[in-house]
Amino acid sequence: MTLMSFVYGFLAILGAFVFQTSLTGINRKVTARLQKRRGPKWYQQFIDIFKAFSKSSITHGWVYDFGAIMALGGIAATVIFIPVAGFQSFPGLDNIFVISYVLAVGMLGMAMSAAGSGNPWASIGVSRALTNMLAYDIPFMVIVFTLIYQHQTGSVSELAALQQGAGIWGWNAFQLPLGGLVAVIALFGMLGKKPFDSFIAPAEIASGPMVEYGGKQLGMMFTLHELMTFIEVSLILNLFFGGGETLWVYLLKYAVLYTFTNIVSGVMPRFKIDQAVTFFYKVPLGLALVQGLLVIFGGWGY
Amino acid sequence: MQVTTKNDRSLWEVIGDYFRANSIWMKWYCTGCGAIEMPPTMTSRFDMEQLGMGPMATPRQADVLLITGYLSTKTLRRVIYSYEQMQDPKYVVGFGSCTLNGGIYYDSYATINQLDQYLPVDLYIAGCMPRPEAIMNSFATLIEMIKKGEARGWKHYQENYDWYKANQMDSLGEVIIHDEFHE
Amino acid sequence: MTNSTNNWIECLKKETGLEAKEGTASLQYVLDVDKQEAHQTLAYLKRAGFGQLSLLTCIDWIEQGTFQLIFILMHWELGHHLIVRALLDRENPEFTTITDIYPGAAYYEREVYEFFGVHFRGSAVYQKPLFLERWDDMPPLRKDFDPQAYSDGKFPKREHPHVFKANVVEVTE
Repeated sequence: MTLMSFVYGFLAILGAFVFQTSLTGINRKVTARLQKRRGPKWYQQFIDIFKAFSKSSITHGWVYDFGAIMALGGIAATVIFIPVAGFQSFPGLDNIFVISYVLAVGMLGMAMSAAGSGNPWASIGVSRALTNMLAYDIPFMVIVFTLIYQHQTGSVSELAALQQGAGIWGWNAFQLPLGGLVAVIALFGMLGKKPFDSFIAPAEIASGPMVEYGGKQLGMMFTLHELMTFIEVSLILNLFFGGGETLWVYLLKYAVLYTFTNIVSGVMPRFKIDQAVTFFYKVPLGLALVQGLLVIFGGWGY
Repeated sequence: MQVTTKNDRSLWEVIGDYFRANSIWMKWYCTGCGAIEMPPTMTSRFDMEQLGMGPMATPRQADVLLITGYLSTKTLRRVIYSYEQMQDPKYVVGFGSCTLNGGIYYDSYATINQLDQYLPVDLYIAGCMPRPEAIMNSFATLIEMIKKGEARGWKHYQENYDWYKANQMDSLGEVIIHDEFHE
Repeated sequence: MTNSTNNWIECLKKETGLEAKEGTASLQYVLDVDKQEAHQTLAYLKRAGFGQLSLLTCIDWIEQGTFQLIFILMHWELGHHLIVRALLDRENPEFTTITDIYPGAAYYEREVYEFFGVHFRGSAVYQKPLFLERWDDMPPLRKDFDPQAYSDGKFPKREHPHVFKANVVEVTE
């Protein structure tokens, strides 16, 4: 843990932000083309974020301000632990449980800050977001435990490295196809893509947790959202799609995976929150349990 | 009352104005019939997102308050509430002849006739109704105005707050909302 | 209570002496009643199957010096609409509240009081403001109210340098 680790960590946060924000802008264009529009400029997302930072802002009390900073700090700290193409700023600290727990700091900060704004829509949005988290996390965790049991390691970079060298058939998504399906569905829930975006529904609950954010806090929320997207897509990419042998392979795979979720999201309607929970507990949880039983008692994948 | 156009921006404001001009988020206050012209402006035929514009769900996130149609006194109270919740810099666009001079409701006991007496309007779009072409054209104008730093209605509102408040009081009596749902 | 189409009309005529006429649309009927017997007629009609009050509103007949209260009732089984009309004195408009028959009428009564100034005796809430906030003039939907004068006095107008007027041509025979 030298000084260079901190420099690399900072560069990782910066790189993740620039890459994911560009990708979001390109994907806004992709969505526009799906809807037969021309779409915004590819760097539109940068303009939006910097514009939000250029506006004035107000406070709704110290819980609101502190929660926003805690959320951004927590999420940015999590980015440091994500292994990118085998590279880590702090080697040996990329255990899946470390990432889950540090990620929770950011999530709780967001919930705290939104609830601290005192707006009832924000409270409804937060409760929906946490319900949604409960829905996708259980199937996802079942399948992650299966992976850990199968490979006897919890390190994300090791799990990624174990899949490499055998072409795409070595990826966990193809080795454990049911698990791969569950992971991709859970990714939609994590990213808040349709059909699981009821907690940020603009027309019914006025964009939910974001309702009272304006100005600089809104800019922080957008930055946070880009970093969180990077964490979640990277996690699925490392665990189920083999990570990347080199940085460019990694970023290419990342872009394809993210664009895929975006395209599917572009043609989906929206689940109500109770429908989303019912769906997650019926189909993905069932598939994940079947996959787990097959691996543990059937010897699949050895 | 004319909006002053003195231009003494610092470098940060010039950079900020570039970002604000290219990313206009709007709160549509759909009071009248004008709201029906917004869906074609937003969707594939005219596609306002190519200029970086988009609708926003709450006044806190919005830069532009777009008032699409007549304003009754009752609605004006809510519009003033919404405007004062927005974050600076913020712009107001009056849409259709109802906000200009009352339109066909010029003699109504319930609707106001001239929006710029109560809120600092940066731009009016004339017409009853303005077509999406006119809306896109006017937003191109608004973008130019923001880039040059001429859309200074929000500063004007701060500097002449007493004048605006007095006008609001004259027509409304009081701006605070008293009804059975707000107690 | 009633099964065939015209049963309630016959029962109404037998028991109260009032005759419902055919309206202008199909399945629509009109019934003119006195102010004094309007309340008990409405109570009877509710028992006869008109369970829904669709509308309660008022018309200002300024030349006759009367207000006319309009109740539109609906019979859900037969699909009949019945328009019950009662005339009130314009100088002293008073009526008995019908919230004991149709509780939903409370909002209509508040609206009619606000726009026409008709008093509904027996209702505790009819004077609560509903639509107009801080109204400071006579009820605005009365025909002798001048909206132009009110608007001129209250709302600032934009001054137009050019006023375009139609060129009126006198046609002489």
